[in-house]
Amino acid sequence: MKIFSESHKTVFVVDHCPYMAESCRQHVEFDMLVKNRTQGIIPLAPISKSLWTCSVESSMEYCRIMYDIFPFKKLVNFIVSDSGAHVLNSWTQEDQNLQELMAALAAVGPPNPRADPECCSILHGLVAAVETLCKITEYQHEARTLLMENAERVGNRGRIICITNAKSDSHVRMLEDCVQETIHEHNKLAANSDHLMQIQKCELVLIHTYPVGEDSLVSDRPKKELSPVLTSEVHSVRAGRHLATKLNILVQQHFDLASTTITNIPMKEEQHANTSANYDVELLHHKDAHVDFLKSGDNHLSGSSREGSFKETITLKWCTPRTNNIGRSVLLEQPRKSGSKVISHMLSSHGGEIFLHVLSSSRSILEDPPSISEGCGGRVTDYRITDFGEFMRENRLTPFLDPRYKIDGSLEIPLERAKDQLEKHTRYWPMIISQTTIFNMQAVVPLASVIVKESLTEEDVLNCQKTIYNLVDMERKNDPLPISTVGTRGKGPKRDEQYRIMWNELETLVRAHINNSEKHQRVLECLMACRSKPPEEEERKKRGRKREDKEDKSEKAVKDYEQEKSWQDSERLKGILERGKEELAEAEIIKDSPDSPEPPNKKPLVETDETPPVEKSKGPVSLLSLWSNRINTANSRKHQEFAGRLNSVNNRAELYQHLKEENGMETTENGKASRQ
Amino acid sequence: MDDYDKTCLESALVGVCNIVQQEWGGAIPCQLQSTDSLDCLERLIDLNNGEGQIFTIDGPLCLKNVQSMFGKLIDLAYTPFHAVLKCGHLTADVQVFPRPEPFVVDEEIDPIPKVINTDLEIVGFIDIADISSPPVLSRHLVLPIALNKEGDEVGTGITDDNEDENSANQIAGKIPNFCVLLHGSLKVEGMVAIVQLGPEWHGMLYSQADSKKKSNLMMSLFEPGPEPLPWLGKMAQLGPISDAKENPYGEDDNKSPFPLQPKNKRSYAQNVTVWIKPSGLQTDVQKILRNARKLPEKTQTFYKELNRLRKAALAFGFLDLLKGVADMLERECTLLPDTAHPDAAFQLTHAAQQLKLASTGTSEYAGYDHNITPLQTDFSGSSAERM
Repeated sequence: MKIFSESHKTVFVVDHCPYMAESCRQHVEFDMLVKNRTQGIIPLAPISKSLWTCSVESSMEYCRIMYDIFPFKKLVNFIVSDSGAHVLNSWTQEDQNLQELMAALAAVGPPNPRADPECCSILHGLVAAVETLCKITEYQHEARTLLMENAERVGNRGRIICITNAKSDSHVRMLEDCVQETIHEHNKLAANSDHLMQIQKCELVLIHTYPVGEDSLVSDRPKKELSPVLTSEVHSVRAGRHLATKLNILVQQHFDLASTTITNIPMKEEQHANTSANYDVELLHHKDAHVDFLKSGDNHLSGSSREGSFKETITLKWCTPRTNNIGRSVLLEQPRKSGSKVISHMLSSHGGEIFLHVLSSSRSILEDPPSISEGCGGRVTDYRITDFGEFMRENRLTPFLDPRYKIDGSLEIPLERAKDQLEKHTRYWPMIISQTTIFNMQAVVPLASVIVKESLTEEDVLNCQKTIYNLVDMERKNDPLPISTVGTRGKGPKRDEQYRIMWNELETLVRAHINNSEKHQRVLECLMACRSKPPEEEERKKRGRKREDKEDKSEKAVKDYEQEKSWQDSERLKGILERGKEELAEAEIIKDSPDSPEPPNKKPLVETDETPPVEKSKGPVSLLSLWSNRINTANSRKHQEFAGRLNSVNNRAELYQHLKEENGMETTENGKASRQ
Repeated sequence: MDDYDKTCLESALVGVCNIVQQEWGGAIPCQLQSTDSLDCLERLIDLNNGEGQIFTIDGPLCLKNVQSMFGKLIDLAYTPFHAVLKCGHLTADVQVFPRPEPFVVDEEIDPIPKVINTDLEIVGFIDIADISSPPVLSRHLVLPIALNKEGDEVGTGITDDNEDENSANQIAGKIPNFCVLLHGSLKVEGMVAIVQLGPEWHGMLYSQADSKKKSNLMMSLFEPGPEPLPWLGKMAQLGPISDAKENPYGEDDNKSPFPLQPKNKRSYAQNVTVWIKPSGLQTDVQKILRNARKLPEKTQTFYKELNRLRKAALAFGFLDLLKGVADMLERECTLLPDTAHPDAAFQLTHAAQQLKLASTGTSEYAGYDHNITPLQTDFSGSSAERM
């Protein structure tokens, strides 16, 4: 259903003329005498509803069903017609609920049987209905504003449901003509107005209702096109429950609904607790929930839709859950012709709203998919699963219903805040345990948990500083660190090396956040002041070097760590570069400043022949080249190096050498010649 | 597969149709390859509401041309969907299978089919119990893939017969991948990741196990729109818990901000009066009567039910009912046993009188928002205590 189809706007026009006060002549027994009461009491006489009561009751039921299934974007305008038109509500969403309509109807009250019939007419209401259809709804307005130059795509269609007591077929014809004429006039008006819209399509549903037992003076007529803008249909219906049934059928047609009857629902009430009593409930819902039945042709419908009777309902059996582990949900079973049973639907309640879910009961096209452990990264066994679980819990979402504003006064979108937080929390986040030292240390937690925040309190800063002092203390006492020995040869790094690695990693973490606030900066300052450094590095620091962790590559033990480390760094760097945040990237990239000293040892970081010689002479290796090297190494393992490149001089290989040698011929430029 | 008459396309199609529906249900797109006269096929596509496309062989019928035709078909229907899964700076290259289909929200307002982004950005996490079983458009497998520098797929890491691929896959298997980390934690924590698929389009990532050993990262697509799941509210209004004054999940993780209650309760979640069937009206009258016989203990419930009936009768213009119920209450008054509390008679008379006034329809007594309140009697103080 398109959003701005005829069902977007429904106008009810209910006749409030004196004859509507007539009885529908269908009795309701309301004084049901209870057993064991004093004998001899005659029950009170049954009462009957008026045509008006039947009409109002049935149209309220239509609205109740519509509002329950479509709480938004399906709007009703209620008009009562007698000596004039009384418009009971507007198109605004606040006016769209039963309570408002009921209150307005109570204010109108039943028709006055003693009023002058000559003054009263349903025409007043029909004219007002056309007028109201030209009025723009908030949804139409919103869509037009959003579409800008495509505003004409927003349609203006509607439906008028008129419940009246007509005199004859020609009276009906007169009503139709009046509507058509009014549309014509109002469309002219709307063409010259900004806040009115021309009616593109109007569906007039005329319901003639009359007391039970009388002959109808009006004949039924199926939908007919009266003009390109107006279609009309006429239903002649007896009042009482017949009218209610008719409107129930119509609401299903108008809003693409279908019916499901749930059977075998166990009685919950105390008095039935120990009995096997159960009951049935009929539900109306969008007909898409039956799409599988319709497609498969497995119809076990009762009745047929051929005469538009819509009496059909699909029966599903309630399956009482044995364990209540699926929350407020109940599975529904579909009895099949073959006798086999299939769970086809599920009823669940979310915040007091009931939803009917269609379950897929057929074979999945994703049959036998490979397990995640068989794919990329599937062999890695030391993922930080628990830590990431904690990370997920910290990054859970919650609704912010009241608008919040940024400092500059613009509206803050909570979901964007959520993304920002994820960005901050992942600036340095090693995925595996052997890639990290600090996240394996309980002592680092107070710092690591707050440094990712957008802003720090004084207390946070203090805690971070305490954490750093604590680490200094640990180092002084020579406490062991949880350094991974995976991939290292021998016993792993010495204790002082371990601390160097730890401090480097901590610095990386803190540095990733120094631009958050001045307080973050203070944490880094504290860290830099406290962390241990070999004397020669201190020297270098004085000469303006920001980082030293890429040096000292002569030590074999460190090498492996450095590789891991640089990989992590470049991973992070990649992310940062992608986001285009230059100011952040700057904090991470080691600049090749002219006064950078030559590394003490020129041994390349990655021992591969592919490393371009240029890189070697370039002083400290940049993260970019570390990354490239890494990729090159990984790739080189996957294929055999091209012979020409292996034998190349300065990356240049001479082609067709063999021709020269064998034939003494000049190499031809024509490729074909070399085939000889 | 059954045998069908190979010269009669129609019966073959019916056969294919049956098999597809029996096995995979009616919501599955299906491709057909056939060789037949062109008009006939065009008509076939028209019958299918214009869904479908005819592939023809360009040039003479030879192996090369047939290959190129199938190449086109493969490009159109079988190209894998590659994307980058992102959670802040943590990323992974993935293949989404089956390929997500474009979706048209409203052909009139928004006729351009929406396609999902190739950047799948995680925006946050929600407990499975909170998201419950949401309705989805489609479900997809999310497979991490290894890409080389040029962006060509090297492999999915799944072991294959091919030896070269095998070694490449073995390497890929040993490189930490964000998908595996995410999957593991989603599984352990019982959570889903909410992922942004495009403007006002979201989905969720979760772990799905098809057996004890096999488990996978799956992605389900919600219907595009600002509020695909009413019990979560508008997606744009979901924010990080750290922005809330206090943790909405509680310090001990013992509560949840979901489900959100709808602004207007559904009719079945409130006491809506419907008298379309006589039984509805009879039940409501009986309730009043039952409580009337237990006055003064049930004074509050009696008046509550009485006022509910009064409101509905006024809205429906059903004033005869008010008169009828008033008569009934007066009769009840005469039938009170000698042992009855004296307050019962006072209340019944008062209620009947008030209903009669309302049934006149005069605005003074028939106000919709007016409620009949219990008569203050000398006994009512003590009766209130007993309630």
